[in-house]
Amino acid sequence: MTPPVVRDLVHVMGTVVTIDVYPLPGSGALDFAAARTVLQRADEVLSTWRPDSPVSRLRRGEIAAVDAPPELSAVLTACATARELSDGWFDPWAMPGGFDPTGYVKGWAAQRALEALAGLPVSGALVNAAGDIASLGSQLSGAPFRIGIADPDEPRRLAEIVELTACIATSGTYERGSHLIDPRSGEPTARVASASVTGPDLGLADALATALAVAGLAGLSFIEPLAGYEALVIGYDGRRQWTSNFPFAGRTGQVGSVPL
Amino acid sequence: MKRAPIVIAGTVAGLVAVLEFHSTPAKVSLAGSTLPSASTGRSTTGGEAAGSATSGTRTVTGPQVNYNWGVLSVKVTVSHGKITKVRLAYLDDGSNPRSQYIDQQSIPLLEQETLHAQSANIQGVSGASYTSAGFTQSLQSALHSLGMS
Repeated sequence: MTPPVVRDLVHVMGTVVTIDVYPLPGSGALDFAAARTVLQRADEVLSTWRPDSPVSRLRRGEIAAVDAPPELSAVLTACATARELSDGWFDPWAMPGGFDPTGYVKGWAAQRALEALAGLPVSGALVNAAGDIASLGSQLSGAPFRIGIADPDEPRRLAEIVELTACIATSGTYERGSHLIDPRSGEPTARVASASVTGPDLGLADALATALAVAGLAGLSFIEPLAGYEALVIGYDGRRQWTSNFPFAGRTGQVGSVPL
Repeated sequence: MKRAPIVIAGTVAGLVAVLEFHSTPAKVSLAGSTLPSASTGRSTTGGEAAGSATSGTRTVTGPQVNYNWGVLSVKVTVSHGKITKVRLAYLDDGSNPRSQYIDQQSIPLLEQETLHAQSANIQGVSGASYTSAGFTQSLQSALHSLGMS
């Protein structure tokens, strides 16, 4: 019998990445090797947890940006774009200790791993990098993936449920190692309890969620004009605010948890 | 938009498939290795805590497994083919305050995520859950010892 979901776990970048695929009937064994390779390569090149990684060497000034391997070059370019799109609220160059793209690379790597699954005989797939999720396709039934957003005040509950068409990233102060830093002051800062961004690319969504958690409500103004991207913030008082087309799956934006 | 009705449609078999490891646990490095001293689940049957009125209710404690920040094991209760309760049976996070804080945040989320997978028809949770590999492994082993995987 074909199982409804097959799960693989990969330990990279100081966290756990979960790969879930929804096999088509009779698809047989599925090969995750390409996706695993993408994640492990991203870990080798882009993990600030590894002192010998190219990103760590770049941080210490031992290599120049022009000498970076292709993965790091791509991330440098994308981080510059994310900095511009976020009005500077996401700025890996302004982090204490030097260039730190951590707010981008987890999503970027998960997005690349997802793309490596695209040829498999599946109805859909999810790559979940510690709560930042890239998806393609749907459940076997054709139903879209539904993703809960953790309630920052009440981890036993979900704050909201979204209907996912591609990706979602969530940043908040409750995350281990989030170290949200305001690039304008260099100080640890999060003006809202939780910030979620949905959109077509998880790397950018991840960077925008990081920026939005730091910027707070005012940050919704830089998400709103971005085609395909939507955002939801949850304040310390539990109040929600969101961009015009945030993909709520059900009840929208009230204070309190979804009554599951 | 209307909120979709909550459909209690999941089965234990379905959940176990959700939690199935594609790779062997040995491939799950760092947090995935089962402690040799507690490698099998301890199964109790017949609703030991709930009494005979709930025959068909079984509770089992999964093995202790390493995770990123320490050691944990999971206790699961199954009633009439459905998981009704998931709780942490053991946790040693080294008393590191940061780890304790994160565990306080993430473990209840994992407990709920397991139940939601049956009841809320969601396929994931956005927001950090850093303890998930160890939790999932212990849970799967517990279910296996109940003959459900």
